Amino acid sequence: MPDNWGYVLAAYGVAAAALLGYWRHLVRRGRALAASRRGDRGAT
Amino acid sequence: MPAYARRVGIVLWKDLLVERRSKESLNALLFFGLLLLFLFQFSLGPDRARLESALPGLLWLGFVLAGLLGLGRSFLAERENDCSEGLLLTPGDKSAIYLGKLAANICVMGVVEIVILALFGLFFDVDLARGLPGLAVILPLGTVGLAAVGTLFAAVTAQVRARELLFPVLLLPIQVPVLLATVSATQVALAGQPLADAGPWLQLLAGADIVYLVIGLLTFEFVLEG
Amino acid sequence: MMPRSATTRVLGWLALLALLVGLGLAFGYAPRESIQGNVQRIMYVHVPAVLTAYLAFVLVLVGSIGYLASARAGWDRLAAGAAELGVLFTGITIASGSIWGKPTWGTWWTWDARLTSTAILFLVYVGYLLLRAMVDEPERRGRFAAVVGIVGAANIPIVHFSVKWWRALHQPSTILGPEPSPIAAPIAAALAANWAAFTLLFVYLLVRRIEIARLEEAAFLGGARAR
Repeated sequence: MPDNWGYVLAAYGVAAAALLGYWRHLVRRGRALAASRRGDRGAT
Repeated sequence: MPAYARRVGIVLWKDLLVERRSKESLNALLFFGLLLLFLFQFSLGPDRARLESALPGLLWLGFVLAGLLGLGRSFLAERENDCSEGLLLTPGDKSAIYLGKLAANICVMGVVEIVILALFGLFFDVDLARGLPGLAVILPLGTVGLAAVGTLFAAVTAQVRARELLFPVLLLPIQVPVLLATVSATQVALAGQPLADAGPWLQLLAGADIVYLVIGLLTFEFVLEG
Repeated sequence: MMPRSATTRVLGWLALLALLVGLGLAFGYAPRESIQGNVQRIMYVHVPAVLTAYLAFVLVLVGSIGYLASARAGWDRLAAGAAELGVLFTGITIASGSIWGKPTWGTWWTWDARLTSTAILFLVYVGYLLLRAMVDEPERRGRFAAVVGIVGAANIPIVHFSVKWWRALHQPSTILGPEPSPIAAPIAAALAANWAAFTLLFVYLLVRRIEIARLEEAAFLGGARAR
């Protein structure tokens, strides 16, 4: 059978994109929460 | 124990009485079944052989779709008439309410299913007679599975945004194994084969029913609290 | 935003390291499979992903039962975070399985037992997340989600058997599966390494996700108090 590296790349690529995307989503949410908390504390 | 059974009976009696007086749900569900029949006929075309081979699937699709409508309304009456607190204040084990509602749902769905079955036999010109003894076992098993989870999820979604969307979205994936089992078993029954051939499927259904019932009984009080 | 504790950061770096090791084993150490060719290497993503997804859903069950039993929010945060990750890893499982299937079976989708069961699992837990999105109040959200989570988890073995028997009825069993048999030692090693890496990554992401949930709930309650 031919090697189909394109498919291998696609599968690993999808997995990497999904995991990386989720991690960045978490990081961003964490940053936003930390910023808003600092803002609240500053206001009081 | 007798007090519990009495409470179950009261909820069951109340729901059936409301249903018998208004016949709201039942009539609409029966009519819905008839409509489905027409939809299936039109979407599958006049080829009788194709309809007959699809019959087990169509039958249970009909039951599930009617079930979605009927079960989704399980707690609607209490909600619309502001009686939810009445349920909450019921003394004793709240799971009695679950059983009562479940029993009422099974009764209504049973009637709907039998009528849909008869209509299918009539309109699709299919000989159901040899399948009836098998169906008499399969239908209750499948209906309990559908209603046990459906009643529980109806209580959950009754108090939630977008409940008309959320109820089917939650219920249908859970129902897939029940659907697979009932359709396969129905195929065996309608083909006139002995019911023992569908034995594993029936066992799966019975096992699933027990699991769903136990979970419903154990978790219902947590759903009502809100 | 730096994660709170040093442990979390170490965990994150460890996970990354493990992933790189796993990648190296998958492409450098494991041999080219004789029948399928290099396409089989997708297995080193597909199988660890599905195992991690199952771990996630076990945690959803644990968190759900824990929350109903104790009413302590930590259990609900565990369930919610695990469900999100479970959906993520299930999605990866399905995508990698589908991508593997195209060159091997010639089709993007096939109703084989694992793909079908995984797809049903995906639908169940997406529904779980949708339910959570529709309830704002944390206490009710946790209770309702826990009930649905328990039903979903209890359903997993039922789904497994029903799909397996259904497939046996309707499809001949395929000779080709992602896992070659017998499994040679280098392949098993690469598989185990990637599984460990995925598990580490899962734990790291879960810890961070739970931390965020904790902060969000504090903000929600703080806002409520201010009002």
